[in-house]
Formats: sequence, structure tokens, C-alpha cells
Amino acid sequence: MKKTIALLLCAVLCLSVFTACQSTTPSNQGESKSPASPVEITVVTSYGGDDGNRANYEEAFKAYEAATGNIVKDGSGTSNEEWKAKIMADFETGAEPDVLFFFAGVDANKLIENNKVVSIETIRSVYPDYASNMKEDILPISPADGKKYTVPVNGYWEGLYVNKKVLADCGVEVPGAGYTWDQFMADCETIKSKGYTPVAASLQEVPHYWFEFTVLNHGTVETHNNLPGSSSDETGKAWAAGLNDIKTMYEKGYFPVNTLTATDAEIFQMMADDKAAFAIDGSWKIGWFQENAKNIDDFTVTYVPGKNDRKATDVIGGLSMGYYITKKAWDDPVKQKAAVDFVTAMTKDDVVSKFGATAVTALKKGAVPPSNADSLMIAAIEMTKGSTGIAPATQDNLNQTARASLFANVKNIVTGSITAEAAIDEALAITE
Amino acid sequence: MKSVMYKKKAPLILFLTPALLFLCIYLYYPFVMNIINSFSSITGLGTSSKGFNNPWYSNYLKLFTDPIMRTALKNTLLMTVFTIVFQVGMALFLALLIDNISKGVQFFRTVYFFPIVISATALGLLFNLIFLYDGGMLNQLLMKFGVEEFIDWKDQNHYLFTMSFPVMWQYVGFYFVIILTGLNNISPEIYESSEIDGANMFQRIRYISLPLLHNVLGTCLILSITGALKIFDLPWVMMGAGMPMDKSWLLGTYMYNQTFTMGDVDYGSTISIIIVVLGVVISKTANKLYKEKDY
Amino acid sequence: MFKRNVIGKNSIKIKRSNLSISKIFIYLFLSFWAITTIYPFVWVILNSFRYKGEIRSDSFSIPMGDSFTLDNYITAFERVNIFGAYKNSLIISITVTIVVLLLGGFAAYALARYQFRLRTIVHSLIIASMMFPVFSTIIPVFRMQFSWGIVNTSNLTLSQLSVILPQIAGNLSFAIIVLMGYIQSLPIDMEEAAYLEGYNQLQIYFRIVVPIIKPSFATVAIFTFLWSYNDLFTQMFFLRYRDTYTVTRLLNEIVSIAGINYGLMAAAVVLVVVPVLIVYIFLQKNIIKGMTAGAIKG
Repeated sequence: MKKTIALLLCAVLCLSVFTACQSTTPSNQGESKSPASPVEITVVTSYGGDDGNRANYEEAFKAYEAATGNIVKDGSGTSNEEWKAKIMADFETGAEPDVLFFFAGVDANKLIENNKVVSIETIRSVYPDYASNMKEDILPISPADGKKYTVPVNGYWEGLYVNKKVLADCGVEVPGAGYTWDQFMADCETIKSKGYTPVAASLQEVPHYWFEFTVLNHGTVETHNNLPGSSSDETGKAWAAGLNDIKTMYEKGYFPVNTLTATDAEIFQMMADDKAAFAIDGSWKIGWFQENAKNIDDFTVTYVPGKNDRKATDVIGGLSMGYYITKKAWDDPVKQKAAVDFVTAMTKDDVVSKFGATAVTALKKGAVPPSNADSLMIAAIEMTKGSTGIAPATQDNLNQTARASLFANVKNIVTGSITAEAAIDEALAITE
Repeated sequence: MKSVMYKKKAPLILFLTPALLFLCIYLYYPFVMNIINSFSSITGLGTSSKGFNNPWYSNYLKLFTDPIMRTALKNTLLMTVFTIVFQVGMALFLALLIDNISKGVQFFRTVYFFPIVISATALGLLFNLIFLYDGGMLNQLLMKFGVEEFIDWKDQNHYLFTMSFPVMWQYVGFYFVIILTGLNNISPEIYESSEIDGANMFQRIRYISLPLLHNVLGTCLILSITGALKIFDLPWVMMGAGMPMDKSWLLGTYMYNQTFTMGDVDYGSTISIIIVVLGVVISKTANKLYKEKDY
Repeated sequence: MFKRNVIGKNSIKIKRSNLSISKIFIYLFLSFWAITTIYPFVWVILNSFRYKGEIRSDSFSIPMGDSFTLDNYITAFERVNIFGAYKNSLIISITVTIVVLLLGGFAAYALARYQFRLRTIVHSLIIASMMFPVFSTIIPVFRMQFSWGIVNTSNLTLSQLSVILPQIAGNLSFAIIVLMGYIQSLPIDMEEAAYLEGYNQLQIYFRIVVPIIKPSFATVAIFTFLWSYNDLFTQMFFLRYRDTYTVTRLLNEIVSIAGINYGLMAAAVVLVVVPVLIVYIFLQKNIIKGMTAGAIKG
């Protein structure tokens, strides 16, 4: 028996090796010796693993290696809390990379406060053309000191994904630019009465998309990124009103019955299964629909319904990540130019277009959409084109602990065990 | 029982020092840092301390007022009891059964080991699909039996079962292998002689196997207590952040959540100290009670 | 030590038929448990041959015809150098296992046989160290190893060392506690006999104790190997560049994105699990009854 199992296992292994041999393509031999002595720079990005842009990233840095003769030592990982912790530990101990692709918001505050990365201004004092292909006013500003540090590649937007099949079955029209919150609530009622779930969202795990838009519905694009001082000031009231809108939706039964006991992955499956009509998510979710939808044409993405002064066409989006050059590389005469060249190469117009076809971009000329775009991608491109205003997600202004505390409380707010005001004050107390 | 030969202490140094050296450098020193961290203010793993908390013991005060801490503690102690009763109990039962058969022993030994090898992510996914609300394996079965309403296996009435069953099931194989090894350290001659004496299966288990397993079961007791206190991966994959409504927190998942998701590293450190202190106290007490009760 | 004399003479006549009925129940129960443990494994293997989108919607059927695919394996092999990763994994985990057995065995022997003043304290410390969460010890370890220059280097061997050392420490306490339990249940007579014949403690350990509890060493070896091999967190922290990646680390990298691609994940699990099962099956022969008896006589 033991032998049989061992043999079986070996067979599995052999089979997989066999399939591998059939499919392995010869690896790119980008051998090109440059006359100048090559510089080795270390780079850490979030384009590790199975990131949708991993292939684009590799292609781009191989092109850089071929053009300059420099060597890129790539230590990319997948963005999550452990990845962030590892990067912070690197900077603490002096083991940081030369170029870092990282978040632009408060996550990078410690790098800036401790003078670990170099501002674009400083870089331009030596290399005046650095990031000159980017729109100056969209380049992310660090919340730490109001200066610009990072050169973005692909941005993001958040929008309302719609299952058209469910809507058709309920006799509800696909929402568009003029869609209001009241219409939305009425449609939800209709959808619910037909036995579908109106909104696919896991309030216990991912309430933040709905938080962003319900808060934006009580403010404007301009005020969206203000941080409340307390739950009783203007922004605080907007936050509370937004959270209470979510509570109303919950009380009316528009979320799935198990919205407080299921993971986001589990609930989002309802979209693909034609069981739910709406879901808010980010630009990165398009890939999910392409993988999971039976027919991609059943789905579209559009503006989240507007309320009060906010037009539906005001969207949440921005440039949340970008390339930083570290102080260590900047102060190293050998590496300085190599690092600057690397960032420039990685943020050229055509490279950026490849990375984020439908996403928000800082390119002066705009990104070029791919020729083989499907209906969902086209809808996304149209949505970003038609937007009248764009505000970055306000949750990025909270520090990690405060953010996590506020969102963990959403389930308590909707069930009434804590008021929205109390939850906001609790989170703000954590923000120093 | 201790022999004269072990009175001379010189070889002791040779035997003990290398292992202790490793433990000191890689575990005790970092853990001392962890103790210091529990008094400091650190807002992100990997970042340096902003100085001491005010008052320096504030994290320890927070332990007493934090309602989630109470839930986590209660659940963890419950898991400890479950682990001892179900994991070790079932493993012992299976090992004794296996010890009484001759055919297929290898097969059972091999397949009982399977669950430990498969990663928590994959097992978590499997169990998530089994317990899935809409179209999960269990709910589909219930439908076939004419149950109309789906059961939400992760709601407040079922979460304890949904969370603990996979954990219990997965690690039975671990204790099974350890107990089986103990049984195999028993010389077969003892069994042979008992068979000549005409002992039946139950007598053999009661008077030969169990007494000889005494020390090994003591080891299992310590392992199950320390293991239960740090249970983390399957519950984390399946129940995430304390689902439902902060009811399913364990010390392990809460510590991880504080350290990584919340970025409250100092409070996370405090929780890990609680885990260690509880573990030592409980396992020492259990060991003492167990050793006193001899066969 | 055991109470053989208690077994009464009155139980001599046991009906054989009775025995076989109880055997049937034993087999039924063992098979039932075996099904629960085999099923998940079969499930993972089946789903590794399924298209990625179908696992969530239809994971409990057998993939055949249209839904059968080798794509997941092809993707896994195309994207990464899996054999290099197997080599790295084996180097790390085998080294860890050997060192843990050696040092853990010594320490367990010392704690089981010697009485000394600090014994209780050392024992408590070892139990305590089994519970140190790796999440709270990793940063100091990282700083320490960085200052020694073995982290974040391009040197393959040093990178491997930076994983091996913390893993040895992490598995030592388990090995000591378990081996100690086994050594304590050995009768001390044989060691005393050897001592009287003039063996020193080191010889007694290697020639008497180790051969008798060989099955226990095999057991500890299996778990140490398994945990070292599967310890993703430490590997994530210390293995920075692709050429140093282990199988677990590498495949995690492929499947990590948002957990979308379950088919690929299942394939990755199979690829990760296979070597461990081979190691288990081969080490298992050392846990077989009978080997011990021979060892004692020899």
C-alpha cells in the first residue's frame, strides 16, 4: 500500500513535469553587455506574484536593463499588511531597496518623516525632466508634509458594478449618469421584491466602498478628503450621515442575509451567480468579472447614485501608489542616475498605458486603451471619461489603526449596538 | 528511580548548552524585546517605538476593559478543552484500534496524516465551500432531506461548531502519529506474553498500552494545551476578523489582527505575553495533576 | 512497571468469533475516519484539474470532458522555476531537521535523565517558547540577522542560512518536549548496564538510547520537516529574491492575488504536498513495530 501511494504520488509529479516540459518556453535571454560598467539597483514593488501587471512589469524592467546595461535586482511581493511590515522593517534597519513602489497616502508617512525617500522637487534640481510627462496637479501629495514624492503608474477608480441580467428580470433600467439615490433605493425595493439581493457587499469585511460613496453623498469632491475633528463638526456629520445611509439600507434588507457573517469573496460570487444586482468595487475588480462571469456582456460598470450636492458622475479614484527613490540610492553617486533612469523608464507614456488601460492616469496625454477591450472595459473607460470630479478615498487619510477600528464598527452600527457618532469618535481618538 | 550514572553533571552541559543557546538567541531574546514592546507605543510592525506608553502599563489595563479580549480568552479556553478531549481523545482511540489490527495498518497511518500536510489556505477554502451559505455542500445535503431554510453556518448559533470542527479534525492525525510512535516503542514481546496469558483486547489496552503510554500522553497534554493557545490559521482563513459580530475571536487571531491589520503592535505584544503566561500556567498545572494520577 | 500479573486467569477462554465481530467494527470505524481524511486530498487533486472559475460554483464533481484541464499545472511551471525551488526547500528543511534532531535529542536526553537545580525552570522555559508567536519575534530576529549580514544579500547560501537558523530554534522546543516524553518511558536498566560496562554518557546516548527510540526520532523528523517546509511566514520575511525562493514561497507568490485563481491554488497545493508525503512514506518505515525489538537485541 505504501509503495502504491508513493508510486501514485511520483506519477502525479511526473505528469506535472511532463506538462511543464511541453509548455515551457525558452526564457528571455536579454543579454546585452553595455560598455559602461553596469550598476545593480534593488527594486521592490507590489507587482509580485500573480499581479495582473506582473508580465508588463517584467517586460518593462527587462527593457530598461537592455537599454542601460544595468541590473535590476527585483524583490517584489504582493501588497498586504505583511508586505508593508516587511518594507517598514527594511527601512528601519537600513536594508531598504533603491527604488520602491509603494502607497502614496499615510502608509508612507514614516518614510517621509524619517527622511528615507527623496522628493520629486529635489530630484528635479538635478534631473529637471523627471516625471515631466505627468500632470503636475494630479501627482499625489504626501499627507505628511504636503510635498510630492512619488511618480504614479496606474491609478484606480471605484464604481458601481451592475448585473444587467438581474436588472432586466426585475424590469429595472441600467443606471446612468443622472441616477439619484432615491431612484436607487426604489429600485432596490423592486429588486428585493423579485427575490434577488439588491446589493452584494460583506459589511463585516469590506464596508469601505459604500462608506466612501455614502460619505461623498453628504459632501463634495472638494471636501471629501477633510478629516473630521469630531463627529459633531461638518465633516463628522457627513460621515455619520453616510454611515446611517448604510444602516438604512441594511434595515431595509438590501444587503445579503449573511452580510455580517460571510466573507467578501463569498458574497461577491452572488454577482457572477446572477443573484445580486449591484456591487461597488474598484478598477482592479474587472479582472474578477473577466474570470468568473459566464458572459461578460451581462455586466457593466457605472456611476454610484448621487445624493444632495454630489452628482453621480463625481467618482472616487486617484493614484494610490507610485515609485519612490530612496535617500540611500540618491546619496550613492553610482546608483543615483540608475535609479532615476529606472523610474523614468517605468513611467513612460507607453508603459503606463499598458499597466492601466481603464484606470485613472496622471499622464498629460492620457492612457491609450487597448484594442481588444471587452464591453466591461469599454464601460469603465467611458465612465472615467465622463466623470465630472474625482476625489481620492478618504479612508486613506486615516491611519491604519483608526481605519480598521472604524470599519470593524460598521457591523455594530448597522445592528444598532453603537451609534455612528460614537464609532467615528472612537476611530478619531486613535488618530494622533 | 534516578540512577547513579546521572549524578555526574559534567555531560549535562554538553547535552543542554547548544539547544539552549539557540533558544536564547532566537526565541528568548526576541521575546524579551516583545515584553519591552508591550510597554511602548508602536504604530506599525517594523517601525520603531515612539517611547513608552503613558502610563507604561496601559496595555495591561486595556486587557481588562477590552470586551473582545474576554471573548477571545473564553473561546481559546474552550478550544483548549476541545483539543484535549477531541483531538487527543480521538487520536488515542484511533491509535489503539490500529494497534489491534494487522492488515491495512500502513494505509491508515498514511491517510490519517493527510490533513496535516495540506495548507490551511486550501483546507480553509474547502471548508468554506462545505459550509457555504448558498450552495455549500452541507446546505445542499439539507435541501435534499427536505430542509427549506438554509442554515447560515457562520451565524451566532453555529459559529462555534463551524470554527472548531475543522481545527479538531485536522490535528487528530498529529497526535495519532505521536501516540502510535509511543505504542511502537513498546516491545512486542510484552504483547506476546500477554497474549499467552490470554488477555483480551480491553485488558491489554487497560493494563499494558495505557500504562506504557503514560509519559507520551503527558507529552500530548502539553502539546495540546500549547497548541490550542496559538491556534491561528484555519480560523483566520474561515472566520476572518471575529466573524460573526466579534464572537469567534481567539487569542491567536486577535493578536495577529492587532499586530497586522490594526497596526497596534504594542497591544499585540501584550496579547502574546498573555498567551505564553496562560500556556505555561495551564500546562504546568495540568501536568502536575496528570502526573499525580498514576495507574 | 506494567501489571502483567493482574491479567486474570479467568479470561483465558475468549471466543474467537467475538473477536472478529469487534474487528469488523474496528475496520468500519477506521475506514470512516480514513474517508474524512482522504476526501479533502482527493478534492484538492480533482480541483487542480479544473478551470479556475468553476471551483467556487462546482467543486464537488469530478472534472471530466470540458471541465478537465492541465492549464493550472502548465501555468505553474511556465511562470516559475519550480525545480530550483524544490532544491532550495530540500536544502533548508533537511538541514533544519538534522540539526533539530541532533540538538533536540541531546537536550531531551539531558532533561529526561538528569536531576539538577534549574531543571523545572528550563522545562517551563521550553514550554513557554513553544507558544511565542512568530509574528512577535520576527522583527528582532530580522534586525539581528541583518546586523550579521545574512539577510538581504545576493548570496544564496547566506539567505538560506537566514531561514534555517530561526527555523531550527522554532522547532527545537517541540522536539525536546516530545523526545523527552519518549525517553522518560524507557526503562533505565539498559543504560545502567551499559554504564557498568564502561560506556560514557555520549556512547550510551548514541548506542543505547537512540536506537531504541528510533521511531520517535522519525516522528519528530517528519513534523520538523513538515513545519520547516510549510513555514511560509519566515520564508516570506527572509527570502527576498526569486533564486532563493522555496516551493512554498514560490507557489504562494503565484496564487496570492486576491485568491481568485482557485484552480491554480489547488495545483500549487498538490505540488507542495507531494514531496512531504514522499518523505512521510519513507520515514514511516522507521515507525514500524518490530524494528525496535531488533535494535534492543543488537
